[in-house]
Amino acid sequence: MRDDPTVVGLVELARHGDAGAWNDLVDRYAPLVWAICRRYGLGGADAEDVAACVWLRLVERLDTIREPAALPGWLATTVRRECLALLRSRRRQVLVGDESGLDTVDDPAFEELLVTQEQHIALRAAFDNLPEHCRRLLTLLFDDPPAPYAEISSSTGTPVGAIGPTRRRCLDKLRSDPVLAAVAGAEQP
Amino acid sequence: MNDDEILAALAAARHSAADVPERIREIGRSAFAWRTVDAELAALTPDPAVGARAEPAAVRALTFAARDLTIEVEVTDDALHGQVVPPQRGEIELRDRSGVVAVAQVDDVGWFVLGPVPRGMFRLHLRAGDAVVVTEWITI
Repeated sequence: MRDDPTVVGLVELARHGDAGAWNDLVDRYAPLVWAICRRYGLGGADAEDVAACVWLRLVERLDTIREPAALPGWLATTVRRECLALLRSRRRQVLVGDESGLDTVDDPAFEELLVTQEQHIALRAAFDNLPEHCRRLLTLLFDDPPAPYAEISSSTGTPVGAIGPTRRRCLDKLRSDPVLAAVAGAEQP
Repeated sequence: MNDDEILAALAAARHSAADVPERIREIGRSAFAWRTVDAELAALTPDPAVGARAEPAAVRALTFAARDLTIEVEVTDDALHGQVVPPQRGEIELRDRSGVVAVAQVDDVGWFVLGPVPRGMFRLHLRAGDAVVVTEWITI
């Protein structure tokens, strides 16, 4: 995955004590942290404990991150390790011994989860970079089933006949996002 | 991805962000206050970045390496027994997420004892001469 200039900038700012940049990093990666906790069946206070460990480790590593592109992978590994540590300590309390089935080192399902999460991170970031009229229109189209064009037209002021072409233009803009193109294979064939 | 696929992927991405409990983000935001810019980080060896890391649960002897000194810690049932190498006097604090929970003097030969053994995450914060060293977060 190529270096995302946004992440490089955020890490740089956070290193210099910029709390806003740090918060942006947290918002960006919180879904990844949560998704992995859920995969290990952890929620509530357990997930909060894991998250606390992971965020603190990220804070202490800020100065030593060489390649921000490696951040999602590093985070995923760290979250997973903390989840397993918590599950193991729990197991030791309830039953001794059997740790089979907890996890394997090469777990294709985990790799897949990571790929999906990286795509999601890139998609959300690319969406946030769209012009406001695109964000508004696409948000209305997210509904399942999507809002009727007449309704979209009245709430955005876009003529019904222009909604289709606008949607296409906005999605083309989204697809042209370099970071997204790198992770999602979103380029037009 | 065609238009429908990318729109569906985008919707899924936004939903997965909306599903995250706010507490997870709050904890993340407040973690920034724990930055120690004035202290050198002593990493647990072997460095987890290398991948050859003992599982925290199995660890009874820990070595944290900073540039010019190491902190060796033996975990017993009731305390952390440690030594600063090379030996030097100083003051060492046991800190958890709530702050400082214990303080001990490091004697002439670098020995210190800190207790009780913390539950959950903790780190050590050492002042020795001009050096200020903080270990990475660890859970036993």
